[in-house]
Formats: sequence, C-alpha cells, structure tokens
Amino acid sequence: MKRILSIAVLFALVTAASAQLDRSTPPVPGPAPEVQIGDYDKFTLPNGLTVIVVENDKVPVVSYSLTLDVDLPREGKNAGYISMAGNLLRAGTTNRTKSEIDEEVDFIGGTLSTHAKGIYGRSLTKHSEELLTLMSDVLLNPTFPQEELDKQVKQNKTGIQANKEEPRAIAGNVAGKLVYGKDDPYGEITTEETLDNITPQLCRSYYQKYFRPNAAYLVVVGDISKKEAKKQAKKYFGDWEEAPVPQNMFPFPGGYDEPQVVIANKEGANQSTIMVTHEVMLPPGHPDMAKAKIMNEILGGGSFNARLFQNLREDKAYTYGAYSSLSPDERVGRFSASAQVRTSVTDSALTEVLKEMETLQTELVDEEELQLVKNVLIGDFGRALEDPQTVARFALNIERYDLPQDYYENYLKRVEAVTREDVKAAAEKYLKPEKSVILAVGNASAIEDKMKLFSPSQTVTQYDYYGNIVEKKAVAANISPMDVIDDYIRAIGGKETIRSVNDLKMTMGMQVQGMPLEVNVYQKKPNKFYQATSMQGNVVSMQVFDGEKGKVKTPMGEQELQGEMLAQLKENAKIFPELDFNADGIELKLDGVEQVNGKDAYKIMVTKPSGLTTTMFFGVEDGLKCKEVSQSPQGTVSTTINDYQTVEGIKFPKAMTQVMGPQSFDIDIKTIEINAGVEDSQFSIN
Amino acid sequence: MIKMKKTFLLLFALLLSGSLAFAQSGQIEFTEFDLDNGLHVILHQDESTPIVSVSVMYHVGSKNEQPDRTGFAHFFEHLMFEGTKNIPRGEYSKFVEKSGGTLNASTSPDRTYYYEILPSNQLEMGLWLESERMLHAKVDSVGIQTQKKVVIEEKKQRYDNSPYGTFQVELMKRAFKEHPYRWTTIGDPDHIRAARDEEFQHFYDEFYVPNNAVLVIAGDIEPENTKKLVEKYFGEIPPGKGKIYRPDIVEPPLNGEVRDTIYDNVQVPLLLQAYRSPAMGTEDFYALDMLNTLLAYGQSSRLYKSLVDQQQLAMQAGSFPFPFREPGVNIAYAFPNMGNDIKEVEDAMIAEIEKVKSNLIDEHEFRKLQNQIESDIVTGNTRIATRANNLARYYTYFGDAGMINSELEKYMAVTREDIQQVAKKYFNADNRVVLYYLPKSQKQ
Repeated sequence: MKRILSIAVLFALVTAASAQLDRSTPPVPGPAPEVQIGDYDKFTLPNGLTVIVVENDKVPVVSYSLTLDVDLPREGKNAGYISMAGNLLRAGTTNRTKSEIDEEVDFIGGTLSTHAKGIYGRSLTKHSEELLTLMSDVLLNPTFPQEELDKQVKQNKTGIQANKEEPRAIAGNVAGKLVYGKDDPYGEITTEETLDNITPQLCRSYYQKYFRPNAAYLVVVGDISKKEAKKQAKKYFGDWEEAPVPQNMFPFPGGYDEPQVVIANKEGANQSTIMVTHEVMLPPGHPDMAKAKIMNEILGGGSFNARLFQNLREDKAYTYGAYSSLSPDERVGRFSASAQVRTSVTDSALTEVLKEMETLQTELVDEEELQLVKNVLIGDFGRALEDPQTVARFALNIERYDLPQDYYENYLKRVEAVTREDVKAAAEKYLKPEKSVILAVGNASAIEDKMKLFSPSQTVTQYDYYGNIVEKKAVAANISPMDVIDDYIRAIGGKETIRSVNDLKMTMGMQVQGMPLEVNVYQKKPNKFYQATSMQGNVVSMQVFDGEKGKVKTPMGEQELQGEMLAQLKENAKIFPELDFNADGIELKLDGVEQVNGKDAYKIMVTKPSGLTTTMFFGVEDGLKCKEVSQSPQGTVSTTINDYQTVEGIKFPKAMTQVMGPQSFDIDIKTIEINAGVEDSQFSIN
Repeated sequence: MIKMKKTFLLLFALLLSGSLAFAQSGQIEFTEFDLDNGLHVILHQDESTPIVSVSVMYHVGSKNEQPDRTGFAHFFEHLMFEGTKNIPRGEYSKFVEKSGGTLNASTSPDRTYYYEILPSNQLEMGLWLESERMLHAKVDSVGIQTQKKVVIEEKKQRYDNSPYGTFQVELMKRAFKEHPYRWTTIGDPDHIRAARDEEFQHFYDEFYVPNNAVLVIAGDIEPENTKKLVEKYFGEIPPGKGKIYRPDIVEPPLNGEVRDTIYDNVQVPLLLQAYRSPAMGTEDFYALDMLNTLLAYGQSSRLYKSLVDQQQLAMQAGSFPFPFREPGVNIAYAFPNMGNDIKEVEDAMIAEIEKVKSNLIDEHEFRKLQNQIESDIVTGNTRIATRANNLARYYTYFGDAGMINSELEKYMAVTREDIQQVAKKYFNADNRVVLYYLPKSQKQ
C-alpha cells in the first residue's frame, strides 16, 4: 500500500511539474545570489611583517605567499639583476645546496618558488613545518652561488638569442621602451651585456635592501587557524630583521602628442605582429575600474563577441585572434591591443583596430552587448571565488592599496551600475588612439611604406630588439649589389687568393644542451662537400655531396637526397659561393644599410635558381659578411659571424652564433687547413 | 594526476582531458537517486561559492562504436552543441555565456561528458539545456553536414598536422588487435563521411537516453528543491527502448614486442614505450601508478635524474598511464637530446626500469612517493567541477560514486613489494609496443 501511495505521489508530482513546463522558452533565473567573500584576519609581527590569514578548511592544504610591497629601482647597466636575485634565492643557502632543496621539497610533495618580489610555498597542512623550515632558510640565508648564477646567465642569454627572432618579444621590448621611456624601470631591457655585469654581490645587495619584513606581506591561506598561523609566522619569520627600504620615485611618462609609428624587422616573416599601445593612469581600486574593464571587454576581451575578434577574425579573416588589455598599475597602467596578421594586411588591420577604438569613443554601445559583458564578468567573478587564493588576493589588495573593506563585496554592484554612457566616457578617458605607439614587427621592407599613413608627419622609425633606433641609411646611388660582393671578396683575401683554394678542411665545435659536438667539414673544387657531426668521438650524422649526388646518414639510416634538397645542397656546396654570384640565375638586390651588432651593414637579398632567398649582411667599413639569414625545412636559420681569423692570407669566420627557432648555438671554428690534398674518396657516396 | 612537463602535457591533452584527477582524502558527501526513466542523479552540496555545476556523463565512448563507424562518439560531442527542438542552431553556448556561465564537453574511449558551470540562480538554465540535449537534440542533416566538416578539419589540425599528434592512433592500433581500444576517439574520417543521417539518429536513440546517463549537480544547491527541478526537466524524457551495445571483448596478451618507426613533421625525435597495463580501479593499477610516480614525478624522480640530469641523454622523460576502464596501456617516453641516439636513450630508460625490478626501493624514497600521491590527491580535487566529474566517472565506470572517497586508501595500501612486482609483471619487452618518432628528413 505504501509503495503504491509513494508512486502515486510521485506521479502527481511529475504530472504537475510537466504541466507547468514550457520547454520552448528558457527558464527565468532566480534572484542573483549574494556573493560572500570570505573574511580574513590580519596581524603584524614586531619586526613589521604584516600577516594576512584566510582560513579555508575544505582541504588540508596550506600555502604561504610572501610578497614585497616595494618600488623597484632602475637597473641601468645591470638590467636583469633583480629578477636574477629572485631566482637565485632558492639556489642555495648556508645550510642546503640547490639539489638538497629540490629533494626536500619533493619529499613532502610540496611546491617552493622564489621571485624578485617574494616567495611562494604550498604543502599539505601536516607538512607545513617542513615547508616553512625550507622557506625560512631560503628567505634568511641565501648564498647566491656563483655557479648557479653562471647557469642562469647562460640560460638567459640563450633566451635572448631566441627572443631576437621572436616577433612578440621584439614588440614587447620596443613598445615597453616607447611607452614608458628609457629612463623608467618598466622600460628597461635586459641584454647580453647587462647580464654579464650581474654579480652575486649585486644580487645580495638587492636582497639585503629590499627583502625586509617591514615592506612585506605574508599571506597564509588554507586549513590553518589564525592562532597557529601566528605561531608559525613568529617562529619562522620573527627573526627576519627590519631595516628601512629605499624609496624609488619616477615621473609618470610624458606620453606623445601624435602617434608614434614604429616598426621592427623580422627577417623573412610572412606575418606581422601589430600593436596599438599607450600608458594609462589607472591605479588599482580607482572608481573608474568597473567602467574601464567593461569597456575593454567590449573592445577586445576574451569573449567571442568582442569587437576586435568579430571584426578582424570573423568578418575580415585577417588573423586567428585579436585582443586588447587594460592593465591597472600603481605607477603606470597600460592599454594594449594586438594581433598577428598576414603581412599584406598589416596596415588594414591596424586601421580596423584604431577604428574600433574610436567607435567606442563616439558611439554608445548596445544595451544587449553591455549586458552580455556584465553577465560574463559577474560569472567570472563568482567562479574565481571558488579558489581561496582569490580571496587572499583581494585581502592583499585591500591592505596594499588601502581600499575600503567592502571594495570587493560591492564589485558586482559597481559592474551592474555601469551604463552605456559610462562605457563611452571610459573609452574617451582611457583610449588614446591619436596618441598611441603604433607598432608592427614583420618584414620591415614590406611594411615600412604601409605604416606611413598612421603618422601625420609620415615618420616611421625602425627599432631593433634592444629598443635601439635602426638608422636606415641610404645607399650611395653608385653602389650596386655586385660591388658589395666584390668588396667582400677583396676583404677576405682577393679573388686570386681564394680561387687558389682547391680544398678545405675545417673543424668546428659547439655545445648542444651542455654537450660538446664536433663538426668536421671537407670541401673540394668545384663543389664537393662532406660534413660529419660527432659527439665524444662518435659520428652521429653525416652529409656528403660528390658534385652530382648527395646523401645524408644518421643513426637511423641513410638517405640519398633527391629533388629540392639535392638542389639546395648543390647550391651550398661551393667553398666560396660568392665567387659565382654574377652567374646566371642568381638575383641580387641591395636593400639599404642596417645595423648588425652595432655596425652598419649592407643588406643583400640573394635569390638562387631554386627560388630560395638568403639575406646577407656585409660590413660597410670592413666589407666582411657579418650575418646571413636563410630558410630551411626546419624554419628560418639566422647565422651571425662574430669574429674572423686569417689562415694563409684568407679571412674565415672564427666565432658564429646560429639561431633556429627557440634554439641558439655558439659555434667556434677551431682549425682550418687549406689545400691539404683532400682525396676525392672523401666525397664518395658509397 | 601525475604532474607532467608542460609541453608534453599539452601533447597528451588530446587524450586525457578531464580524466586524470582523483579524489581527495576528505570525505565528499553526496546523495543519489534514480528517476523512473532510469536516469541516475547525484547531488553534491557545497555552499561555499554561489555557483553550480550541471553535468551529464553518457556511458558511451569510442569503444561502443562499430569498427566501420569509428569516431561516432566524438562526432556526437560536436553535434550536441548544434541545438535542440527549442534551442536554435548555434545558440546553445550563447545561453550559457549570457547567464554568466561556462561550458564544455569531452569524449574518451569509455564515456562522453558535458557540463555547464553557472551562477547558482541559473541552475534551471543548466537543467533546461541538458534535458533539451537528452530529450530532442537536433540530429539533422544541416548539423551533420556542418559538423562533418569541422571534425575532419579538427583531425587535420590536431592530429595529422600537429607534431606527434598521431602517436595515440599509432600506438593503440599496434597495442590492440581485438578490443575497440585499437582505434581512438577521433576515428576514421572516412567512416564519418560515409555515415548516413539515419545512422546518427540510431546512435542518438541508442546511447543518449536517461538510462545510459548520470546527471551530477554540484555546488550551491538546495537538495530538496533541486530534486523537484530534476523531475521537472528530466522526468518526462522516455527511456531508451533497445539494448545498449557494450562490447565484451578481452584482448589476448601481446605476446612479443612490437617495434616500429614513424616519420613525421617533427624536429625532435620521440621515444615511446607503451606497456599493456591493468584496468583502472584494480590493485595493480594503483601500484603501477606509484611506479610511474617513482619514475617520473619531480626533478628527483628516477627517469629525470638519470636521463635528463646526470647522463644528459634526454631533454625530457616521463611515464604515465592511460586511465581506461578496461586494460589499457602505460606509456614511458623520452625526447632525446640533440645528437643522442634514440636507441641509447631507450637503453638508459630500460636500465632504470630494470633497476626497479631487481632492487626493492628504499623506505625513504617510498615515503616520498606516498607523500607526493597524497599531496596530489588532496590538492587535485578542490574544485566543484572536478568533484562532479569524478563522481560521474566513478558511477559510470564502477557503479559506485563513493569510490571518490577511497582513492587515497587504495594508493596507501600499495607496498614497496607491490611496486617491484608490477614492474616485473608489466614492464617487459614481450608486453610492449615501442615507437620511434623521427623527423621525416631521416626517412630513407
């Protein structure tokens, strides 16, 4: 009976529910939920360390985030040392080596990382004492070991080598320098030279001046009571000595009166990285924040419906994605809109970006568009609160920027209150299309003229990776590309001398992933070629060309070269290919004077019969080749010749740097023998 | 669950989306009930944030496909965003965005999963969307034609033209001869192309039915009211009529090493060793996972320390399981350093595996493994969306959502001897497929 009754009840319920259900319209949401942001506790240790505790016992995990609230100084000729100091904190203490620290962190299944403005650690609550022991050791007793510094410098230099070929990195450097100015710490650029100036003493001095409890916040988040957090803070950070921390003040960047139109070259690029960017004054907690954020979301936020995305991707198909950002900052905020586009539409794409910025300043947005963005922001905010680190970030911001205690509680109200007029006003105030840095990184010769239209004075300035102006000097009218090649041939020893080279033996050395490789090259007239790469005496790869046929041998087997690859090898097999540049089928074009490693150099585009173009640079003063950029099946290969050596009256490269994708290799030419009587059998295919 | 290096993580994201995280140690409370139409419902209340996750896991993956119609399950994942009787084409995800929510879906060999995360006052929106999908999704020729193109492009972009993108396809077809794991979720584009519209309708009618699904609602909910709303939106959906195809195929042992080379558009060679491995949820699976942790978790792990750090043979090396419901594979991999012979790297990897077989790991290192596993399980399951996914998966695979609360126990029951024993039992030449991924330029 009971069973029948319950089914009957259930049936009634179902039918009642079904009767009410009209599936054709979406359900109406209930009243918006009240967003409760978790509370936090705060106390200060006698040494001035402010500790914020966010209790959250959902999972038995606790994290400790130490953050310095300091204004960094200028680094000048030592650019990069501050972030180096941050990295090296974890690289050794008076009690532990780096590998001991790694081992101990792994043992508790924890995380420990350090940076210029702080330290972050996380572990299960039950391992928190072990974690804090390590964290406190790293904070109080770092040794900044020279050998770890050397490793980091090396890695950073490799990174720079790669970044020089990376359009986004070039754009970042150039835009930073132009927006902030060269005397602003935000505009500084780390170079190979500044890295070489970094010493453990410099790192230590930064650490000693700025890592002080009175300028720091410790945020403890997780399964821990305030009482316990206090006990731990005292035990592990109580001995940290306070001291006055230097104050650094810098003027707000002056900005520009008209658009600064700039380009940077990426050899052989078929895409341009475009950017419209400028400074903004928008400190965290500013009353305009919600309006400005909504305005930026409508322009180029992450939504599929954002205007830049709709216009540049969906409508025009210029790009895979186009976005903008508006970043608040205590000192200097920043607006930036960017995309990667086909070279041919570099100017059209920039025109559209500027147009969208102007439209927001002149026309009211649709109510529907505004509401959609509000809903997205409100949803994002709610979901972010699931992570206790969000609550911790809010607490830290309230303390650091002196915001009202209910600042985040009222965030949603402020978002809801934003009107169409507010959006327009925010666009007028925070977008400056007419005073922007307008930047394109790509094939400079192809985009330079296109970019003129953005400058009232028709001025386009070219910069290099380091943010230095590239003086594009005109080439004297009476110089032809063949003159440059002839000069080069004279500079390396003269036609007669180099023609007398019948064969050549070369040994080169390079480091790959820390392992030494040796490359042996044999060449013989007219175009015989052999190259073997070996490691610790074992040949790992070999390439040979006997004048007609070519072969590649690797540990995986042999391959006889055919078609395009064979043609390429043939073109490159000559000892001095430049001797035959006046031959049929090779096209030369002189494309101005550019700087390579600080020297003026003629830029020559060499197009071979295979259709491949190689760009070569020859010093204006010394006539020597200083750089070559070629295309290979693996992508663009850029070779810079850093030093020459003379062997029997002929100049050969002595040191080169080769960059391919993210990899960079330093190559030393160790031995060169001329006319040593290399046998034909050396080039035997079989 | 096991931390992998970022790049490789990306590479494997194709396969592992949403499947790796395990349960936390703290008890996760939930209630369950069935509707008359067979729909299983799990409610998990957590009021700490005003959001709600609405998700449906259908017990259908690529293993439920016919050998001449592979790729169907994944194709449906796309088709299910086309719209429904009441939701116009292309509007499904807009409803979610307008509500301030987010959504996604994923397909594995064992299941297909859909979810929305919404502000908690939009719970009904989530229920409406998912019930529309279950009741009368648009399975029509316009949608089928559109999604055929999209999926075929997806295969080109994510598999054929992406470095190592075909690794899973190449491994699985060699590791399995009988079991449907021999093909992967993306399937064969020719099968999708050849399929007639009514075949898609049959697939929908067979698998997208309440009695083949679990609905999980997690987050800031009021359980009694939520129950009523579930009835309101899902109660009227009719159960499936026919029998649901569940293959019962046991793959015979590999019985001998399979070794092959793939020439692909890659710069860096890749060594892959796939060992046939036990099913998820078995004791051996947990022991094998501890073995993976030993080999590949953190900079002090065996493979990293030996191959990357000390011998500098490889840029990266690791080991992890495919978390499949039925016996699958466990993969050890390495990217050789430039100039290193891939065979030399393989020998070094085998040497490390042999060490585990011949020497019992010491107490200290064993303790480290337990700490690492515990830390991962505890921290890996904090989000509501992850919990919902895990509840759905444990119910779908094992009929027991409560397994979410016993994972750690199972790992902690593994002994040092167990780890040695599974190394001996599974990590053998006879039980593996070895693939070398080499640059095309090295092809003869």
